[in-house]
Amino acid sequence: MKRRILRVCVAAALLATTVLTGCSSGDPESSGTDEGAQGEAIRIGAVLSLTGSYAGLGAPEKNAIDLEVARINDAGGVNGRPIEVLIEDDATDAAAAQAAVTKLVDQEGVVAILGATGTGQTMGMRADIERAQVPQVSMAGGSVITDEFSKWVFQTPWPNRLVVPFTAAYLEGLGVTKIALLSDSGGYGADGIAVTKAMLGDFGIEVVAEETYNAGDADMTAQLTKIRGAGAETIWMWGAGSEAATVLQNWNDLTGTELKRDDGIPDIIGAPGNARVELIDGAGEAANGFEFSAGRILLPESYGEDSEAFDVATDFITRYEAEYGSKPDIFAGHAYDALNIVVEALQRMPEGDIDPVALRDEIEATTGFVGIGGTFTFLPDDHNGLTENDLVMYRIVDGEWTLAEEAQ
Amino acid sequence: MGAPELLQFALAGLKNGSIYALVALGFTIVYASTGVINFAQGEFVMLGGMLSVWAYADLGLPLPLAGLVGVLATACVGIVFELLAIRPRKDGDPLALIIITVGGSMLLSSLARHAFGPTERALPRFSEGSIQILGASLERQSLWIMGIAAIAVGVLSLMYSRTRFGKAMRACAIDRNAARLVGIDPKWMVTVSFALAAALGGLAGLVTTPLTQTAFNVGPSFGVKGFAAAILGGLGNPFAAVVGGLVLGMLESLSVAFISSTYKDAISLVVLLLMLFVRPQGLLGRGKREKV
Amino acid sequence: MGSAKTQSGPRASLTGLPVRRYLGVVVVGALVAAMPLLITGSDSRYVLKILTFVGINTLIVTGLALLFGYAGQVSLGHAAFYGLGAYTSAYVTATLGWPFLAGVAASIAGTALGGVALALPSLRLKGHYLAMATLAFGEIMRIAFVEAAPITGGPDGFSGIPFASIGSFAFDTPARVYWLAWGATALALLISWNIVSGRPGRSMLALHGSELGALASGVDLVGLKVRVFTISAVFAGVAGSLYAHTVGFVSPSTFSLHLSVILVAMAVLGGTRSLAGPAAAAILLTLVSSPDVVLPALPRETLEVIQDWEADVYGLVIILVILFLPDGLSGAARRLSARVRGARSGPGDTA
Repeated sequence: MKRRILRVCVAAALLATTVLTGCSSGDPESSGTDEGAQGEAIRIGAVLSLTGSYAGLGAPEKNAIDLEVARINDAGGVNGRPIEVLIEDDATDAAAAQAAVTKLVDQEGVVAILGATGTGQTMGMRADIERAQVPQVSMAGGSVITDEFSKWVFQTPWPNRLVVPFTAAYLEGLGVTKIALLSDSGGYGADGIAVTKAMLGDFGIEVVAEETYNAGDADMTAQLTKIRGAGAETIWMWGAGSEAATVLQNWNDLTGTELKRDDGIPDIIGAPGNARVELIDGAGEAANGFEFSAGRILLPESYGEDSEAFDVATDFITRYEAEYGSKPDIFAGHAYDALNIVVEALQRMPEGDIDPVALRDEIEATTGFVGIGGTFTFLPDDHNGLTENDLVMYRIVDGEWTLAEEAQ
Repeated sequence: MGAPELLQFALAGLKNGSIYALVALGFTIVYASTGVINFAQGEFVMLGGMLSVWAYADLGLPLPLAGLVGVLATACVGIVFELLAIRPRKDGDPLALIIITVGGSMLLSSLARHAFGPTERALPRFSEGSIQILGASLERQSLWIMGIAAIAVGVLSLMYSRTRFGKAMRACAIDRNAARLVGIDPKWMVTVSFALAAALGGLAGLVTTPLTQTAFNVGPSFGVKGFAAAILGGLGNPFAAVVGGLVLGMLESLSVAFISSTYKDAISLVVLLLMLFVRPQGLLGRGKREKV
Repeated sequence: MGSAKTQSGPRASLTGLPVRRYLGVVVVGALVAAMPLLITGSDSRYVLKILTFVGINTLIVTGLALLFGYAGQVSLGHAAFYGLGAYTSAYVTATLGWPFLAGVAASIAGTALGGVALALPSLRLKGHYLAMATLAFGEIMRIAFVEAAPITGGPDGFSGIPFASIGSFAFDTPARVYWLAWGATALALLISWNIVSGRPGRSMLALHGSELGALASGVDLVGLKVRVFTISAVFAGVAGSLYAHTVGFVSPSTFSLHLSVILVAMAVLGGTRSLAGPAAAAILLTLVSSPDVVLPALPRETLEVIQDWEADVYGLVIILVILFLPDGLSGAARRLSARVRGARSGPGDTA
């Protein structure tokens, strides 16, 4: 029986450790509030997926936030006070994202939360955001984030309810009437498909085939073979990961280059999730002729070179490239927008203590903020703030992004 | 559905199946010498791709040399992993070793993220273009995958059945002491099996990366498919692993063709379950009698 | 599985007063129960939330410890039961609007049914084939969670799940949620303790040692295996229900193969034929993911580095424990206690 006692003791020791540390952490002085002379820093929290399956998206977001915090503080901060962004890694897990919110709000006293990287994590945070009454600006693209409306939650990526009509109108303009849908079975694809099917009716476009693939699938030839037999004029693909590049390769191999139509209609058309340089690297020549809609950041000159948006974008791209050695992708842009929307709102607020509730109102009052993803104007019932004007259709030509309109 | 389309589905199944078979072969090698399912096998596939990309893109080596470096480096990782994490567990308790490979899988994938970054990376194809077979199309890169799978199963089967070395590897899984009596050191046989499994996994990663790209987190999906293929065929012999892989690939392809792409994985897993319930030892496995 | 030898040695010296054992259990229980009163700082909500997850994991691992440590079976599909419990409870409470206890009851019923349905045909399978069957079940369930969007919310997840409540008493503060989770875990441990210390437990040990041996001694193998498997599935289901009402949100990516594997790793690290060992392993490994709960004084920069290397540390901890504590935490504790006793009463005592 003594062995049992000992076993119990081990468990007790483990628990005791947590108790002791729990107690010691109760000391409010332990978290660093000893800022330098230029005033107490304004604390903003960020919940990003730096590890786990979304690590590839979280990393550029963190880069952009670090870059912008340095720039903002060098320029004098917010009304003379520096800002500090406390980044928590949610490891691409909804429960961890929620715990991170609790920690950031209760323990660190942040006035707003940026993130999460993914839709699931963003939704997982919802209950605690509403309890704590702190504004949240998400960098995830899921429609559900602003469809299941919360007055506390804002969102920076282009929502699918803008992407779908924009892309559908483009296809309609090309005279397309029959399309096939191909999507990944994860959140991005499922959301895209749901919104597409709900909105296509307005455009006289018929879906003649619908196939899916899973993250990690090595080959989609079977799906594409089936689609090919269905008589679609183009394939609308909803998939953000590396599998998108595999789809382009498989299609190229399946049809052979000699079968490529020359009628100005792309064989495959994508979505903003495809605005990644990795897609071009991965698909190589098979990416030629692939089109997708996204914001203007890939080609800032599309703003018009004398516009404010052009200056903002080129400035960010230049600084990002100088710091990290590569161009920012769309995720870096979403993070730039999330942080700067909050900072702009803070700048409009009176000096002194910052009330998160007042900050939320100020964020909602954002009008004409020129960011990377577009020009944001929030309304009490629109927490996304972008319009179709912020989207543009790209075509990949010889491994480069070009504007689809000009390429034709 | 016309004949060319059917053939195209079959080719797609064959191509996916060859990838699964290559991964399953890696499981088989480690299982044959230790009785252990190596949960890090998928990470060897990831490392083979990653290290080859590193050698090609970052070191600037020509592709064949980069591939060689990638595969050999993966084999070295396999050896180091065996020496540091498997061998110290002297009793060879299979479940303990399996959990060690689980830990190893987490470690290797996370280390790869630290070393090579979180985004996916690409490799050029060994051969560009496709060939046409009776109206169906098959890219030359897939011929590499199928060819390597065929060579690997041939070599392994010969090795196990004909060579003293191969027999020794199997012997030490069956009875370590007996193996020792005939002058084989079972410890080194396990090391060699990990080196071989890692090299084969690395090879699988090398030949598939031009089609799929690779990233630090691709290991588990390769691992699950390979494990399923190895079980479907019946653990233990290379031929069964390849049959399992091809059957799995074909099942998925036919599910897409005739039922639904959304449920292709579910369908093949249900078939796998039913097969297990009817034939618990796998398609080609022999029933093992339990020792009292 | 290296189990027989650990048992034979120290069993001869199995002495000690039951009173002292119960005292130990009471002390630990009191400590766990008092935790919300002891943690009062500004981060108490965060710490209690993490400790609630610790309790939920401990609950699942207790079931797996019964299954593996006593019945010698490994399941790579328990994340699916966890998810089944979570979605069932979410659907019953949030969609149907029934009370929390109805949700828990539905979770129990659903996972019991699932457990029996999987256990019955899987009985013939051994070792890796059983592992594959449970893995396949887990993956099929995960696909079902994604595709049954009208019920589960699909990949976007199921949000708006209410807090647990019994009558008019709502578990709506971190302390109450913590007590609920650990209360359920304590109950599961108690049930498990009753099982393993009674006749079924002895039968299970026979099962773990050798199936033929157990068969020869007249144990109803089939019934026993199914029962243990079902109990462990139900534990996971209840844990899922608690998870759903703690987080208020459920999404399919939580119930991954990775989680199933990690839970099994916790049970194995704990050691065979022990309930406290796996529980300790569950506590330890869950806290590895939240080092700031254990070490709150860490500077942020250090913490960010640790978070970055968390998966590496996790993998390394698993490897090192298996290598250096070959019979798990419980085995290490046994050997330690033998050594302490040996030092106290002379070398002859332990023989």
